[in-house]
Amino acid sequence: MTLALTYDLWGFLSENWEALLRGLGRTIEVSAIAVIGSFLIGLVLGAARAHRVPVVSQLATIYVEVIRNTPILVQIFFLYFGLGQFESTRFDVFTVAWLSITIWGGAFNTENFRAGFEAVPYRFREAGLALGFSRLATFFNVTLPIGGRIALPSSINTYIAVVKNTALLYVIAYEELTTTAFQIQALTLETLEAFTLIGIVYLILVWSLSAGIRVLESHLALPEAR
Amino acid sequence: MPLLFLPDWVEPVARYMFKVGLPATLKVSAIALTTSTLIGVTLGTLLTIHFFPSRALIRTYIEVWRGLPIIVTLFLVYFAAPQISPTLEFGPLTAGTITLTLWGSAQIAEATRGAVQSIPREQHEAASALGFGWTGRHLYVILPQALRRLIPPLVSLLVGIILNTTLIQVIGGAELLETAERSVERLASPTPPEFTPGDIKAFEIYGGVMVMFFLITFPLTRLAAYLERRLV
Repeated sequence: MTLALTYDLWGFLSENWEALLRGLGRTIEVSAIAVIGSFLIGLVLGAARAHRVPVVSQLATIYVEVIRNTPILVQIFFLYFGLGQFESTRFDVFTVAWLSITIWGGAFNTENFRAGFEAVPYRFREAGLALGFSRLATFFNVTLPIGGRIALPSSINTYIAVVKNTALLYVIAYEELTTTAFQIQALTLETLEAFTLIGIVYLILVWSLSAGIRVLESHLALPEAR
Repeated sequence: MPLLFLPDWVEPVARYMFKVGLPATLKVSAIALTTSTLIGVTLGTLLTIHFFPSRALIRTYIEVWRGLPIIVTLFLVYFAAPQISPTLEFGPLTAGTITLTLWGSAQIAEATRGAVQSIPREQHEAASALGFGWTGRHLYVILPQALRRLIPPLVSLLVGIILNTTLIQVIGGAELLETAERSVERLASPTPPEFTPGDIKAFEIYGGVMVMFFLITFPLTRLAAYLERRLV
């Protein structure tokens, strides 16, 4: 083991790339689960809120406001340590990892989708119903294709935030990219290298996501918005 | 004042969190909001100048500090910066304030650019015709109008800053979450003889922290939504 006296980013990478790659893999794994999960939550609860489904709509409002107005870090603490206090609600690290990030993303996405669905003019839905579509079929054939696209830019920002939030899993020692880098630099003292490297990795991840997404956005944009 | 109907441990824990944690959270939030606004408005206004080097520089600043997870920025400021120079060594609360300022100023710079560019060209022309130079034109004519549009994003930023102060817990600064964490540890360790040893109160204490943050930020998010509707 050598103590770092100089800044050697390449040396750091070539010595630790395997561990870092495993960490990045876990970051991507949790991100993927959370993106899919928050998409589904947003879709269901966003639709419930936009259509004012009784009870579900009110519960969704409470869920959204609680999650959006409390720090995600405290939410992670609450899920892991708070609920971990009781035998029946004790989850392992991986469960808390994807669950906490999904719950957070789901709340923001509910709001994104609600706004998107509510932006669909009511006459479109009326037209669907007049054509003999059931309420559910109207949702899937009219409201979702139009409202989903209106919600796309804001929901994409949520997905990017979801990816960035996985770094917070450091606090429960889930070995994703940030935790891995932290553990390596604690041993080798290559603090500057470790954190600049993961900084670069996150920026590449976030920037390429937002660039790729801009392409997707222009493909999926509503014809009149083009 | 004895707290009625509450277990013994509640009062000292609540007092510690209100006397140490909450003031630190509020202080960091207030300072970070002020510095973010000053730096963000300046950078955002400069970004509207069509001069490639300065634009590239400010763009990079915005994209880097907005793109990084805040916890990574915090590690860079708190752990990595002192390696460059010992003068860059800060306490946890200061490092947290710097981190939130970097993040917040990037957000505000982007919002300011949009707000400044939304002011009609005639305003610039009229100000120039009155003999204002670039600085005077922006300071006395453009920014006062642009700032109106900045109020809702500023309130949202304040909410974001308040919520993100909890990250300082990770590096051990005694803000609200850290004081909560210390309280949980203290109650769980058998040292204080007045409590039952191994008394785990994580559910109650972290739940309490969530309630406290909700009470602070919920009115602010309502305010931001209201201002947005009124100013649009």
